[in-house]
Amino acid sequence: MPRLTLHYYAVLREQAGRSSESVETGAATPAALYAELTARHRFRLAASQLQVAVNGAFSGFDQALKDGDEVVFIPPVAGG
Amino acid sequence: MSDFAFSKGRIDPASLAAPLEREDAGGFASFEGRVRNHHEGRAVTALDYEAFEALAVAEGGRIVADALRRHGALEARCVHRLGRLSVGEVAVWIGVSAPHRAEAFAACRAIIDAVKHRLPIWKKEHYSDGDSGWVNCEHAPAATEPAFDYSRQLALPEVGAEGQAGLAAARVLVVGAGGLGCAVLTSLGGAGVGEITVMDHDRVAASNLHRQPLFGPADVGRPKAEAAAARIRDYNPSIVVHAVTERFDDSTADARVAAADIVVDCTDNFAAKFRVNDAAMRAGVPAVLASVYQYEGQLQVVRADRGGSCLRCQWPEAARDGLVGNCEQAGVLGPVPAVLGQLQAMEVLKLLLGLQGQLGNEVLLVDLLALGQRRLAAPRDPRCAGGCIRVANAAAATAPESLDVAMPLEAAAAAGYRIVDIREPMECAFEPLPVSGQESLPLGRLLEGGLAVDPGRRYLLVCAHGVRSHAAAEFLRARGHPNVWSLEGGLAAQAR
Repeated sequence: MPRLTLHYYAVLREQAGRSSESVETGAATPAALYAELTARHRFRLAASQLQVAVNGAFSGFDQALKDGDEVVFIPPVAGG
Repeated sequence: MSDFAFSKGRIDPASLAAPLEREDAGGFASFEGRVRNHHEGRAVTALDYEAFEALAVAEGGRIVADALRRHGALEARCVHRLGRLSVGEVAVWIGVSAPHRAEAFAACRAIIDAVKHRLPIWKKEHYSDGDSGWVNCEHAPAATEPAFDYSRQLALPEVGAEGQAGLAAARVLVVGAGGLGCAVLTSLGGAGVGEITVMDHDRVAASNLHRQPLFGPADVGRPKAEAAAARIRDYNPSIVVHAVTERFDDSTADARVAAADIVVDCTDNFAAKFRVNDAAMRAGVPAVLASVYQYEGQLQVVRADRGGSCLRCQWPEAARDGLVGNCEQAGVLGPVPAVLGQLQAMEVLKLLLGLQGQLGNEVLLVDLLALGQRRLAAPRDPRCAGGCIRVANAAAATAPESLDVAMPLEAAAAAGYRIVDIREPMECAFEPLPVSGQESLPLGRLLEGGLAVDPGRRYLLVCAHGVRSHAAAEFLRARGHPNVWSLEGGLAAQAR
């Protein structure tokens, strides 16, 4: 199965209890991957409330994932 | 009335001093500046004073207010003459009442020094030989105070005299004088950005101090914009700093952004960030935005002047205040907004000086615990076919001024509003609403479409401080429900 590197920020980092991890997954898109992670980490934000970046660029939740991809889930932050 | 005024007629010290008599003032000090009969060895017969009056009156008022606050004096007045004066006439008069002599002398001295140093006043000397000449002594730096020295940045080959002149000519609007704003203002003030406007409608709270070093305990309760502007003027007297205590969402927001070369977003909520973003897009003015959360931050430069991607390209689903915590709810360590604010200041200087490495259509994520940063490409949203400006205009059209309403909840219920409490169940249990018949629907469920809106009814959304309910009302209006309002100030404002 493809192996991906994941990075979390802000509330996602808190809820996952880590800022990054490496996972083997059959998820073909960030949407499927986030659903899988939500079950594991009990994320409370819906995917529609987040942004995702793949390999250093913002992308859609329907982009195809491949082995070795780096995926970053970014929640909105507004403090100042 | 300003405590500073110009007079075209003779100054009468006795009549100016009389209103400053107070029973709580143990000291009164006054200063009279008079026309002398010589200047650099030439005999002077008369003087003409001219001023840029509007600017000088505003700045003069600030000088008097600053001196009172800094030296603990009670009341002061400064009057400067204009027009033709003969030898011996009073050109400037200052009177200060204070609890003791020390404060009175100190404030009086501070006012005359600042008036000479800062006010745009010019004098023309008429000499006994019939000659005359403009003398620029009035706003030359005071002899006791060295000029602000930029030599260490002038030494950079990318800056130099030309770059410094560009900074001096620049106008930057800073929206928000919080943790980010304090850092931005300090660095832009130090760099010699010629005209800085700081905008904030809030007042200094004691809980701000740990991360907002422009304020001390004595500033608690003061308007943040005024306190921050006063500190930056003290820090660099050679620049102009304006304080605006209005909310950014007033009708002048677009005009304020258009009057600036760059706008810096230092606000702490999504609704405000979108307003800054949208105003920048409409005006074609670059915007430098940042947000922080606990130990992390995000930085984005919106090149509205070059058709770049904007905040709406990253977060097209509009404001989500309340979804993730702000500094009040989630906590924050002081260096986090300070670092992000310094990064904003750096991007502003890169833009003004034309330096390399500018953040383009990108978002920078900074994690100060892991000491990591990540620069993500953030192109324009391809779905945004008509461009972000159209989206921004549509957002403005659907976000009328009247989104927030201030009224007692009982009155709202009596007026037929359907009241929806969007707080979390724990908050509701801790502090129930003071009315009956309301619906309870936490924000998260509302955003998932959990509110069945009856188009024939009016809705009033309520939360603790009016921030989440404002965002929720914007969210519902954007989905075609115009009859939705937010209770301004939330439950906290009801208690007062």
